[in-house]
Amino acid sequence: MTDTDRAVPMLQMEGITKRFPGVLANDSVDLTVLPGQVHTLLGENGAGKSTLMKVLYGLYRPDEGTIRLDGEPVSITSPSDAINRGIGMIHQHFMLVPTLTVAENVALGLGGRAGLSDMRPVRQRLAEVSERYGLHVNPDAYIWQLAVGERQRAEILKALYRDARLLVLDEPTAVLTPPEVEELFVTLRQMTADDKGLVFISHKLHEVMELSDEITVLRDGRVSGQTRPSESTRESLAELMVGRPVELTRNVAATERGEQRLAITGLNVIGDRGNTAVKNFDLAVHSGEIVGLAGVSGNGQRELADAIFGLRPIRSGQIAIDGEPVTAPTPRSVRQRGVAYVPEERMVEGAIGDFTVAENLLLVDYHQPPYTRRGLLNRSAISSWCNRLVENYRVKTPDIETPTKNLSGGNIQKVVIAREFTCDAEVLVVAQPTRGVDIGAAEYIHERLLEQREAGAAILLISEDLDEVIQLSDRVVVVLEGQIMGEVDRADATPRSIGLLMSGVRDGEASASAD
Amino acid sequence: MRKQSRTFTLLLALLAAFALLAAACGSDGGDDGAASDDGDGTSATEPAGDDGDDGGGGDALRIAVVAPSASNDLAFTQSMVDAVNAIGETRDIQFDVTDGTFVVEDAAAALRGYAEDGFDLVVAHGSQYGGPLQEIAPDFPDVSFAWGTAADTFGLPNVYAYTVRADEGGFVMGTIAAQLSESGVIGVVGPVEVGDAKLYVDGFAAGATNQDPAVTVNVNYIESFSDVALAAEAATAHVGNGADVLTGSAQMVVGATGVATESGVAWFGTQANQTALGPDVVVASQVYHWEVVLADIIAGIDSGTLGGEVFIATLANGGLVIEYNDGFGLDDAVRTAADATAAGIADGSISTGIE
Amino acid sequence: MSEFFTVSVLVATLAGGIRLATPFLLAALGETLGQRSGVLNLGVEGVMLIGAFAAYYTALETGSTVAGIAVAIGIGAVMGLIYAFLTVVMHAEQGISGIGIFLFGLGFTDLLFQKQVGTPLPIPGVGKAPIPILSDIPHLGEIFFDHNPLVYLAFLLVPIMWFVVNKTTFGLNVRAIGQTPEAADTLGVSVNLTRTFTIVIANCFAGLAGAALALEVGIFQQNLTAGQGFIAIALVYFGAWRMPWVMSGALLFGVVSSTVLQWKTLGIVSGPSSSLLAMAPAILTILVLVLVSRRVSAPAALTRPFDRAG
Repeated sequence: MTDTDRAVPMLQMEGITKRFPGVLANDSVDLTVLPGQVHTLLGENGAGKSTLMKVLYGLYRPDEGTIRLDGEPVSITSPSDAINRGIGMIHQHFMLVPTLTVAENVALGLGGRAGLSDMRPVRQRLAEVSERYGLHVNPDAYIWQLAVGERQRAEILKALYRDARLLVLDEPTAVLTPPEVEELFVTLRQMTADDKGLVFISHKLHEVMELSDEITVLRDGRVSGQTRPSESTRESLAELMVGRPVELTRNVAATERGEQRLAITGLNVIGDRGNTAVKNFDLAVHSGEIVGLAGVSGNGQRELADAIFGLRPIRSGQIAIDGEPVTAPTPRSVRQRGVAYVPEERMVEGAIGDFTVAENLLLVDYHQPPYTRRGLLNRSAISSWCNRLVENYRVKTPDIETPTKNLSGGNIQKVVIAREFTCDAEVLVVAQPTRGVDIGAAEYIHERLLEQREAGAAILLISEDLDEVIQLSDRVVVVLEGQIMGEVDRADATPRSIGLLMSGVRDGEASASAD
Repeated sequence: MRKQSRTFTLLLALLAAFALLAAACGSDGGDDGAASDDGDGTSATEPAGDDGDDGGGGDALRIAVVAPSASNDLAFTQSMVDAVNAIGETRDIQFDVTDGTFVVEDAAAALRGYAEDGFDLVVAHGSQYGGPLQEIAPDFPDVSFAWGTAADTFGLPNVYAYTVRADEGGFVMGTIAAQLSESGVIGVVGPVEVGDAKLYVDGFAAGATNQDPAVTVNVNYIESFSDVALAAEAATAHVGNGADVLTGSAQMVVGATGVATESGVAWFGTQANQTALGPDVVVASQVYHWEVVLADIIAGIDSGTLGGEVFIATLANGGLVIEYNDGFGLDDAVRTAADATAAGIADGSISTGIE
Repeated sequence: MSEFFTVSVLVATLAGGIRLATPFLLAALGETLGQRSGVLNLGVEGVMLIGAFAAYYTALETGSTVAGIAVAIGIGAVMGLIYAFLTVVMHAEQGISGIGIFLFGLGFTDLLFQKQVGTPLPIPGVGKAPIPILSDIPHLGEIFFDHNPLVYLAFLLVPIMWFVVNKTTFGLNVRAIGQTPEAADTLGVSVNLTRTFTIVIANCFAGLAGAALALEVGIFQQNLTAGQGFIAIALVYFGAWRMPWVMSGALLFGVVSSTVLQWKTLGIVSGPSSSLLAMAPAILTILVLVLVSRRVSAPAALTRPFDRAG
């Protein structure tokens, strides 16, 4: 490490070991952060990134190892201790109180003159900090009123307001749209320009390549590599994470598209706030093709998927499957027509956390033979089927009787996908299949999607992950404010062409050829 | 889940520890001998008889009472507890009480428990206990049950019913009240318009208007046997509307007697002697002497009849007695007239007009 | 009916409503603070009973109502520490623990009363303390300024508690930990210490509420509170966890009860209709609860124990 010779590191974590009963979460992990540097912590879920950061933030005490701040060995005993030492944590699941205002969230825990919580000085200082880092958010807005991007700004402001010099950002881009990610990066660069040190946790490799100065890769609690973008490629990083070569760019053989399976014409759907979330929507998906629906979150994708699956009433227009219109769809009737659905909110709509893996695998088919005979569940048929699915879909679970909520996000998603992909559906509606899922699992899910395509399924892939959409889709349809902005074939699909459509710039020629 | 149940067990253990502590504290001052109950309904099997020192063996008559309020409520429950103790002065009894069973299901459990324990007489002291008693009594044909205040034995051979002509004493005290009132307004705080409370209130009103037709009797049933604060507020409302004499029935009137004392208005008590609640304002109390009906019931049991009859406490048979508070200084002439009225009711020459 | 609409009867009704509201208002203010921090205490009734007995017995023995109030608050604090130990430290299920506290208070006070006191003996109670000048205002003086000091205290505590919740850092911590304790924790706010505080304060209020009841009626009796603690809990929901609304609910409940009493006293209603009318406060509460529950949501962390996830 030549950099360490140049300046005193803000943070040196050396030989950090943290054991939990039966698990070695961190095994002699080193991490060094210099002022003005972005140090990325890369690793799959469960690799030990969160444990390491919780040690840093005083939530866990390490079993072994030392932490130095500015060269001085310290013992960080609590979050407030960490805060007082200039450490700020931007949590992936925002630590914000929805019923309080931005200013109140910022002031929480800071005390006040004579025990009073006077928001005026808070607001004033907050305005200064916001201005400096371009983090604009109304200090008097309640958190529940804010969009996700604004909430993240509030979360970051909380740390900056406390004069944090070392900020830990735990997957900050997971919930952001591409433009929001760019805004965030501007802010982060402003921070490094101010000599703040950043620990950036992510598994989106192109972001890591773009932002990092240093990269530490963790696998199974150990450091599997320390590198920097100039010395690595996305593939090399992925291999360090997963422990085997990973195919990131995929050459998908063109297939002959078959008959039209799903046809949507003139569809209008009302959103939660009474707005028209989907407007005059026309879309056809054929057997053997993946149609990618790209767009910034909240542009009607969710409402469209809900409407197809009978979860949301249709105001006007028509949805037809195999040429037959679906009237008054309900989830069960739609399923009977051969449609399967991998919903966006896997823990809310996709799986029931308190149910076991086996119960979730059978949520759809439990009432049919051979799983139920004469109204009684057939235990042996169920367990043999479920064990086979768990094996085939590589679900990491102690056994099929484990409550699903105990699994990692990627494994829960595999449970949902295993269920939906094995019910012989001819139309698959798949929303955000790899959001929050680590690379190994994402790769696997992509393979399965393509396998379904080969088998002749008509797949509507709704995703905000541009790489995913471009890689897998035969055609990409871009949606903005509930309307189709344009359509791009596989050959022409690039992040730039789609990104432009997503932000509403329609190239005259491209739109003409799209229709 | 395991953690939950462990803490729950701990919670129970802690509460049990408190209960023990409570029992230990309580026993320090509880040796005055007057209270014949053992307080907490859950430890009801502890014998507490005055004369039952021989350990409950031999010929001691075993009597159990299940009652809704506290044994020392200076009202309904105490009237029965005092009565059983009075019986205990003349013969060998073993006596046990489960009080405070305002939840009928708890009372039913206690009734059944006593019957299973082989008590000779189990008293269900509350008209609300009729339902469970009707189910329990047939299961224990050798146990005699008494139920009051009620006039129905359900046609069962082992159930006695007992009641009281609370209107008789009420009538007598109503005549006194009418003479004491200068404003001509009398306030009554009642619980729920049923049973002996209704009889008392109706009798009181009849006596007052019989004495002086110009008197107004305002009756306020607060629809609760236990809400002391509401009873107090009802009394305040009466006083606010000009009442200068108050009365009331049931155990929640301890709130009203406080208002009477504070406002300096006369108070008439019923069920038990309430002088202690307002030494300056209580004029007289109609006291239930259930020992009269108990004596009849016990005589029946002694002769082998375990039920089927209804006994009524009246002024005539001494089951009702009007006890005056000498500290109030009631005019002798008024008292003499009241005694005459009482005698007239006893010999049947005067009717309260209440059915 | 016309006799009800005389000035003196209306004045008496409103004054009576305020008097009736006082004990459950006090208990509800404390419970509101507790629930804002995410702790439900169904044991309010039990603590009120303990406070009522403590105040009664102390006043009976020492002749000092002030000592009675102090002891009631002190016992409330002890009960609060016990409840905090059970729910905050041991993570006991709050609903069951609360019912346990209630049953304990009910049985314990009955036992102590019977063993230590025996028959109900009246105590002087807290007398009225008319506020000079203000109590001379025609009608209004009688309604608002001619009560015992605990009544004034209860209503004075409404703005104080509002201020504490909304304008102090302690209140900010309380609001945060009742909603998202994890967020407060990461900012160095001790969730469990703050909750222990609110529970102790809430139980002090419940003890004081019991004292207010016992010293108003000047007596103690088994189950003296007769459900007022549960009314207090309902009022917290009724008031949607806002102090001024909780007060409005308490006043509404008190005035409706008082109105029903006046109507019966004046003979405006009698017989079966009066029995129905006696349910008016309860029915009103249920109706409002149904309406409120559609609009307002409870503190998100209510009844949820806090444990830093491992």
